[in-house]
Amino acid sequence: MNEPTESSTPHNAALGVGLRAPHIREVELARPAIGWFEIHAENYLGGGPSLARLETLRRDYSLSLHGVGLSLGTATGLDPEHLKRFKALITRTEPFLISDHLSWSVADGVYLNDLLPLPYTEESLDVVARNVAIAQEAFGRPILVENPSRYLHFRHSTICEPDFLAELSRRTGCGILLDVNNIFVSCANLDLDADAYCAALSGSSIGEIHLAGHSRVSRRGAEILIDDHASIVSEPVWQLYARVLERFGLVPSLIEWDKDLPPFETLLGEARKAERIAQSWIAGHARAA
Amino acid sequence: MLALRDLQTALRRALLEEDVDASHALDAEIADGDFPAPERLAVYRNNIFASLTDALRETFPVICRLVDERFFSYTAHEFIATYPPKRPALMEYGGAFPDFLAGFPPCSDLSYLADVARFEWLMNVAAQASDAEAMSADCLAGMAPQDAVRLAFTLRPSYGYLSSRWPVDRIWRANQPGACSEAVIDLASGGVHLEVCRRGGDVVFRALDDSTFAFRQAVAMGACFGEAIERALAREPDFAVGAALATLFADEAVSAVTLASPATELAS
Repeated sequence: MNEPTESSTPHNAALGVGLRAPHIREVELARPAIGWFEIHAENYLGGGPSLARLETLRRDYSLSLHGVGLSLGTATGLDPEHLKRFKALITRTEPFLISDHLSWSVADGVYLNDLLPLPYTEESLDVVARNVAIAQEAFGRPILVENPSRYLHFRHSTICEPDFLAELSRRTGCGILLDVNNIFVSCANLDLDADAYCAALSGSSIGEIHLAGHSRVSRRGAEILIDDHASIVSEPVWQLYARVLERFGLVPSLIEWDKDLPPFETLLGEARKAERIAQSWIAGHARAA
Repeated sequence: MLALRDLQTALRRALLEEDVDASHALDAEIADGDFPAPERLAVYRNNIFASLTDALRETFPVICRLVDERFFSYTAHEFIATYPPKRPALMEYGGAFPDFLAGFPPCSDLSYLADVARFEWLMNVAAQASDAEAMSADCLAGMAPQDAVRLAFTLRPSYGYLSSRWPVDRIWRANQPGACSEAVIDLASGGVHLEVCRRGGDVVFRALDDSTFAFRQAVAMGACFGEAIERALAREPDFAVGAALATLFADEAVSAVTLASPATELAS
């Protein structure tokens, strides 16, 4: 019943932008030409004017609901109250995509407001698969699970992240939200190879791509990349995006920016840049055919 | 190797409470590479405290202005470690912050701070409150006059009440962006009774006189009409009962009317 209608599902080549509160007024007035918007579901769980404004925008734009608080990796299971509110938002906004992360943020009834890492073990796989199945059952449709940015690796992990995601998808029918910047950041921080990461995911169902900026912080002579969504997409991430399209084909792609928000125009500029990369992929494939 | 549940508890304690034993237990779990495990954990700890401090700053911008940015971050850090959020909806986080400020020794010289925070919290609640249709006074037509005292009114969800011995509305106004920074507020100039609600999309507030405040606050807390009137009359013997009821409806404050059973009335 909540399956999106065909007309509300944007074309795979359509670029989206993460919509944050300070930009909403400008978007309402200017009605920019953009394929779709993504919002953080947890910002709209209350009622009131912000949800009403979102519903108005929804009439003209396709919408993706991106969760940051389902906490799909929590060993003790999902919060039924949160699931219920999330489901109510789905019913009201009829998104074409629903997603959250391969991470956890709730432990012992406390919400830590960060996407915390999981050890990639059989135990974690069972936990996440069970939680994803419960969420999909509650929502009545499949979700996408995103690869998080990572700053540490657990010694007792036995599965690599792309294998973990692929197996999760196989077990639950969920799709994968591939965050290209997160691949880049995690691989740099954990000494992994980004292209090998993508190769390991081949054949998986990629339902969405995220693109965002990161920063570099030096600590005691070494450098760590921070996925802060506070700047333009870096050049190596654009290059990785082009290679990801080469491997997986066109997928709805999104520009995310969460901190130190620039004028909305800057986000549109980033979306246009992604669009040019997607167009050159299309042109390349037209020639090949 | 810790089971996932125990690993998550250890991480919660290490990140949020900076618990030393939990951090040591995690050292064995986390691979080092170029960075030692504590440095890696620090990235997550910074993310948690910075993002939750941002959330509190958004809800309590005037408190942040009154105490300055650095002291606010310090206070927020202490609050977050003691009262972390229970749920991921961050616009609902911070309800305990005003009471925390009231009992936070470094703030003890700023006795008005907790009430200003209570005011900002009411405005935040009003901004997020769900919509409810206002009822018109027509719903009272045909009511037997002797039943009127047993009426209970549900106010629309955005309505909130605050009484303070400090002029918190003026303190709030003077600390809005673009407000005249020269304005000096005499803290001894007296307190205020405030009503906060949402009109259209905007959160608004106004000062109420003593008896009207007593009446409306009693109604908001679920008192029946008879009891709310008594509260108002205790403050002002000439309290205009009929006008108070008419104004409550004219303000479009009421979303539901119920009739308390006589037993309930006796109990109250």
